[in-house]
Amino acid sequence: MESNWAAEHLQVIRTLMERSALYRRALAPVMIFNGVLGVAGGAVGWACGISSGPAFVAYWEGVAISALAGSFLLVRRQALKDAEPFWSPPTRRVGQALLPPLLIGAAAGVLECLHPRPELVAVLPAFWMLLYGCALNAAGFFMPRGIKLLGWIFIVCGCGWMGVCATCTAERAWSPTAGHALMGGVFGGLHLAHGIYLYFTEPRGNEP
Amino acid sequence: MNPEPFLQLDRVIHEKGRLAIMSMLAASPDLSFTELRDTLNMTDGNLTTHIRTLQEAGYLSVTKSFHNNRPLTTCSLTAAGKKAFTSYINLLETIIQQTKPK
Repeated sequence: MESNWAAEHLQVIRTLMERSALYRRALAPVMIFNGVLGVAGGAVGWACGISSGPAFVAYWEGVAISALAGSFLLVRRQALKDAEPFWSPPTRRVGQALLPPLLIGAAAGVLECLHPRPELVAVLPAFWMLLYGCALNAAGFFMPRGIKLLGWIFIVCGCGWMGVCATCTAERAWSPTAGHALMGGVFGGLHLAHGIYLYFTEPRGNEP
Repeated sequence: MNPEPFLQLDRVIHEKGRLAIMSMLAASPDLSFTELRDTLNMTDGNLTTHIRTLQEAGYLSVTKSFHNNRPLTTCSLTAAGKKAFTSYINLLETIIQQTKPK
């Protein structure tokens, strides 16, 4: 009887400690960096006229790698500034949640570059949006509220673009201009909007 | 069975609400009043009372500041609080070990 009581107490403590150990690094700088990079990526891709399927995919995979590297450095700088370990348990959980969908998206892009299928280039941005939305939704279980909603917005955008691709022929739905505008607008625009929102709201004030 | 571990349980931490506060703060450097209140589903008054009790026991420190012209109250465990919490967990484990069927 007493053993049950003590074990239940320990279980409650463990649950509360896990719930408390959320990823708490400031996300506004990371989101704003990714937003600016995405919008700039769209503008540069459009201006440079990157139009062939493999070039488009390779270009945006390069932007994604730059975004990941920049985010990594920003988070690491925050950890060093706060004199805290970078690879903390919450960071590890968020990383584990993000990794599978991001890896699948990267692999799909590499396959498209190696074995180009022009009819699939139009669908690839939708696929990336859906996977990224799933990644954010998974990571949102270990992060403050708001990230899951952002993930769902990416999923809705991905579904919307899949709908456009399904109802139009690839030639009508797809043009390099539309592709760069879509990637810059959705990935860059949504990150930037969320980053600006976080900049003004995190950490929230409270009144005891 | 040795009743000593039961008698050693810290009465301040042993209360359900205060144990929840201590558990959350043990896993995070600091938490705001709002985060504690929302996660634990406590009322402002209830949480304030528990925080005061833990503060008086020397287990918890409270920092009041302003962010964007709004008051921000953050709580964190003191060194004594961390030690008391660890002892409490160790005692629970001892109780479980003692009462485990052999």
